[in-house]
Amino acid sequence: MEIVDLILNILLHPSIFVPLIFPGFITILIIIILLIWAERKVAAKIQMRIGPLYVTRRFGGILQLLADLLRYMFAEVITSKDSDKFIFIASPIVALTATLLPLAVIPAGSLLGIELIALRTNISLLAALALSSLTPIFIIIMGWASNNKFALMGSLREGHLMISYEVPLYLSALSVAILHGSLDIVDIVNNQQRVWTVLINPFAAFSFFISVIMSTSRFPFEITESDSELVAGPYTEYSSILYGLVMGVPYMRLYVFTLLFVDLFLGGWYPLIDGFSSITLIIKVLIILLFSVFLRSVYPRYRLDQAIRIGWHILFTLSLISITLSLLIIGWVM
Amino acid sequence: MKTSLSKQQDNRKEIELFIGPQHPASGHMRFIGRVDGDIFTNFIPDPGWVHRGIEKIAENRKWIQIIPLVERAAILDAANMNIGYVIALEKLLDIEPPPRAQYLRTLLCEINRITSHLYGFGIAGIMIGSSTFYMWPFADREPLIDIAQLITGARLTYSYMIPGGVRRDLPQGFKEKALKALKYIERRLNNDYFRIFFDNPVTKARYQEVGVLKRDDAIRLGIVGPNLRASNVKYDVRKVEPYAAYPELEFDIAYEKEGDCYARLLVRVEEIRQSIKIIRQILDALPQGPIIHKKYEKLVSLRKLEEYQKTGIFGLPAIFTVLRPPAGEVISRVEAARGELIFHIISTGELRPYRLRMVTPSFRNIVLFRELISGARVMDFPAIYGSIDYFPPESDR
Repeated sequence: MEIVDLILNILLHPSIFVPLIFPGFITILIIIILLIWAERKVAAKIQMRIGPLYVTRRFGGILQLLADLLRYMFAEVITSKDSDKFIFIASPIVALTATLLPLAVIPAGSLLGIELIALRTNISLLAALALSSLTPIFIIIMGWASNNKFALMGSLREGHLMISYEVPLYLSALSVAILHGSLDIVDIVNNQQRVWTVLINPFAAFSFFISVIMSTSRFPFEITESDSELVAGPYTEYSSILYGLVMGVPYMRLYVFTLLFVDLFLGGWYPLIDGFSSITLIIKVLIILLFSVFLRSVYPRYRLDQAIRIGWHILFTLSLISITLSLLIIGWVM
Repeated sequence: MKTSLSKQQDNRKEIELFIGPQHPASGHMRFIGRVDGDIFTNFIPDPGWVHRGIEKIAENRKWIQIIPLVERAAILDAANMNIGYVIALEKLLDIEPPPRAQYLRTLLCEINRITSHLYGFGIAGIMIGSSTFYMWPFADREPLIDIAQLITGARLTYSYMIPGGVRRDLPQGFKEKALKALKYIERRLNNDYFRIFFDNPVTKARYQEVGVLKRDDAIRLGIVGPNLRASNVKYDVRKVEPYAAYPELEFDIAYEKEGDCYARLLVRVEEIRQSIKIIRQILDALPQGPIIHKKYEKLVSLRKLEEYQKTGIFGLPAIFTVLRPPAGEVISRVEAARGELIFHIISTGELRPYRLRMVTPSFRNIVLFRELISGARVMDFPAIYGSIDYFPPESDR
C-alpha cells in the first residue's frame, strides 16, 4: 500500500498533476477530441450535413478524431529529399512542447484542496506571454525546413501575422495587469471575485480575444494554412503522426490562450464551487472554445494585408485605449 | 506564352510558383505565376489537363451520337451545350421544332442555368474559405435537379433535345413540384445566401474592388457571359439573337457597373432571379401541341407512336442513326450559363460531320486569369478564380 500512496502522492503533486493531467496533457487530449468533434458536428448541422458518424455511430461519431490519430500513428513518415531532415522532424515536436509550456504558470483553480499551479511566481502573466510567443518561431522554422515554396510562403505569412497580433495581445494583457496592480495571474483572478475584468475593461477583452483568434489561425484569420492557395501553408510537407502533431498545435494554443483569457477577463474559477473550483473554470473555457471554432461556419477568411491592417489599425488602437482606460480607472480609484 | 516564362530571368526577388494540377484550388488545370513578395507579377493559365478532343471525336461520330458527346464539355450545363448543337443541326436540316418543344427546351435550359450558377457560388465560397457557402448552394441544386429529372429522366446529362423537338413531354403534376422548388430557391437566395455570404463583411472585403475588369477591357478581350455583363455591357445572346422560346418571354439582362469580383457574383444572383421569372412564365403559358416535328413523327413504328400519344415519351427514332444532313456550313450561337457558346459545323452530306468547332464560354474567359491576376495579391488568386466561374473541362473540351 505504501507504493500506491507514494505513486498517488507523486501524481497528485501540483508540479506533476498540472502538466500531466489537469489542465495539462490528458485534459488537452480529451478537450481537443471533443472540440474538433463539436466543431465538425456544429458546422455539419449548419451546412445541412450529418458530419462524422462512421466511428462509434451510437455516440454520433465522437471518437472520429481518435481513429484519425491512430491512422496517423501507423502511417509512414515521409520526409522530402531536399528538406532539412533533423529540423523538419524536430520542429513540430518542439513546437508542441513550447505550446504547452505556459500551462506551468497559468493557474487553474483548485481540485480537492490542491492548488492547481505548477509554478507560483509573482510575474506569471509575463512568463505565460513570453512562453506562448515561442510557438510561432517553430512554425516559421517548419516552413523553412520543408523546402517547399508553399510552405515557405505560409511561414512568411505566420511571421507577418505574428508581429501584428502579438503587440495588441501583450498590450491588452498588460492593461489587465495595470488594472489589478499585479503581474501574478492568481492575484488577478482573486481580484475579480466581485466583478470580472471584461465588464471593467471590455476593450482589452475584445482586442485580446481577436488577437487570440488570429494567433491560433481560426476563421476569419485562417491565413497561415489557407488551403485555397497555399495547400496547407507551413504544414504542406508533413505526413503521418507529424501532421497530427502540427494540426494539434493550433488547437492546443487556442486552449492555452483560452485558459489565460478566462483567468484574465472572465473571473477564472469564480464563482466558487467548494473544492471543485476548476469545474467553473473549465466550463467557461469550453464555452469560449466552442465559440472560437463556431466562427468557421460563419466567416470566410480575410486577406493577409487586411488581417495585418486589422491588427495594427483596430486591435493596436483598442489595446492602447484599454491601457488608457486602465490607467484612468486606477487614477480615479486612487 | 510558356516560353517567356521558362526563360531564366535573372531576378532574385521573384519566385516561380506552379499552382496545380495537383492543388486544392487549381481545378483541373495548371497556373504558372511569378511572385514578388505578396504580388503576382505575372500569371499565366496553362490549360489542357482535361482535354478530351471532343471536336476530333465528333468527326468520327454519327450526328445523333454527338449530342451526348458535346454535353460532356460542361456536365453542369448540359442542356445549354445540347441546345447549341441541336440548333446548328436543325439549321442544316432546315427544320423548326413545334412551339411546345421550344418552350420545353427553354425550361430545361433555364433550370440548368440556375444549377450552374449555384455551383459557381459554391466554388466562389470555398475559394475564400466559407465552407458553409460551399455546402449550401451545392445542396440547393438538389430540388432543381429533381425537377429536371422529372422532365428528362436523367439528373445531369439529359440529352433531352433531339433534332426536331424533345424526347419527352412533361409528366403529370409537374407544375406544382416545379413551383415548389422555385419558391425554395427564391427564399434561400434572397434571405439565407445574403445573410451568410453576400452581406458578410469578410466577403465584401475579399471581393469588392478586387479583380476589376473595365468596360473597354472586357470588350477588347472578348469576354462573354456574366463576366461581361458585370462590366456594364448589356450583351446577352438570348436578347441579341433570340432562339428557342426566348423571343416570346419577358426578362431583363442582368448587369452591374463595377466590374469587380463582387459585381460578377451579383450578376449571377440577378440572373437566377430572371431565370426563375422565365420558368414561371413558361409554366403558365406552355402551348399545347406536339413535342416533335411532324416530319419525324411519321418515322417511328405504330406501336411507338401509340406509346408517345399515351405517355408523352417520344424517345429516339431509330432512323436518326442514319441521319444525313445536306452539305453545308452553319453557325449557332446560344447563351450558356457561363456565356456565349458557338457551334460551327461543316457538313459534306455524310453520316458524320466533316468538322465540328465548339467555342465554349470558359475558353473565351480564360484570358481573364492573365489580365486580372497579374498584379494582384497572392490571396486574390482564389477570389478572382471563384468569381469568374471558370470551369476547366468546359474550356479544354
